[in-house]
Amino acid sequence: MKKRFEIFRYNPETDKKPYFKSYEVEVYEGMTLLDALNYIRWEIDGTLTYRRSCRSAICGSCAMKINGRTYLACKTQVIKDIKSDHIKVEPLPGYEIIKDLVVDMDNFFDKLKRTKPYHITHKAPPEKERLQSPEDFKFINEAADCILCGACVSACPSSWAGKDYLGPAALLKAYKFCADTRDEGADERLAIVNDKNGVWRCHYTANCMDACPKDIKITDYIARLRNMLVQNKL
Amino acid sequence: MRYKDGYDFSYKLSVGQVAWILHRLSGLALMFYLGLHIWVISNLNGGPLAFNKVMELLNSPVFKILEIGLWGVILYHVLNGIRLLLIDFAGGAKYHKQLFWVVFLIVLILTVLGAIPFLHHLGGLK
Repeated sequence: MKKRFEIFRYNPETDKKPYFKSYEVEVYEGMTLLDALNYIRWEIDGTLTYRRSCRSAICGSCAMKINGRTYLACKTQVIKDIKSDHIKVEPLPGYEIIKDLVVDMDNFFDKLKRTKPYHITHKAPPEKERLQSPEDFKFINEAADCILCGACVSACPSSWAGKDYLGPAALLKAYKFCADTRDEGADERLAIVNDKNGVWRCHYTANCMDACPKDIKITDYIARLRNMLVQNKL
Repeated sequence: MRYKDGYDFSYKLSVGQVAWILHRLSGLALMFYLGLHIWVISNLNGGPLAFNKVMELLNSPVFKILEIGLWGVILYHVLNGIRLLLIDFAGGAKYHKQLFWVVFLIVLILTVLGAIPFLHHLGGLK
């Protein structure tokens, strides 16, 4: 069985405008989109550029726009997940394009840093490590699954409209540390997300939840952050 | 394909996006209605004759049909507002798609039910 891959190509050094190039690839049961891209790069066209690393949905490198929605290439099976014979592959929307499917993620990580994504503690450290009970871990279990692939921010209309909006990934990270029982920096972090470019810019479009390859209910965590803010004020 | 300065904004429409766009549009429509409403009531200043003249216009079939639309717009804005509150305070984000279809169904049923008296009134005018 053959499928047609229409892939976004753009080399700013030689091309004036981006264009789409088609490749026919023999697909098989269980083949992922990343396998197909690898096949194109290794067998057909060595100039195709994309990011990839672990090919098992844990490194978060290969997020791209697949038939109009953002997802991981390595977690998309070309037969099981895509019914159509025509697969359109584009770089993540909302980021500056460096080359072909590679985008500039600096903005994404800068926003992440703004939410202070590290443990803040004021008490002296205990003799061994700071312990956490399995019950307390349940609060952050899902939020800690984030692999920083950027698919959620790229799917978010609020992020396209507001360049300074923190975006779902950074807000999820803020929740993760605020909800952590070992952390004492919740007030500092809540002050940062309590801003027109913080939690209040989310309009519950919930595209981030569909885009998340780890099935994290990001929109729900943004709502929980808002609840933390409201309860703090009361 | 829309690429401007290396940015691409095209994206497949999702249920959440549609709900959000409809909420914004219904909000704008309600703002427009509010202005119209204030204008109609302000005609009372001109005395009963002037007011009756405006009311005659509002009793025309076109406005009766627009009133059915207004009823639908109000219903959607209110019920989707409740859906947003459920997402805010009751963990509704996990079920936001199902909630949208519930809102959609209620709006559809109540708009049709509410249209009956309007249409009766319209029939009575003839």
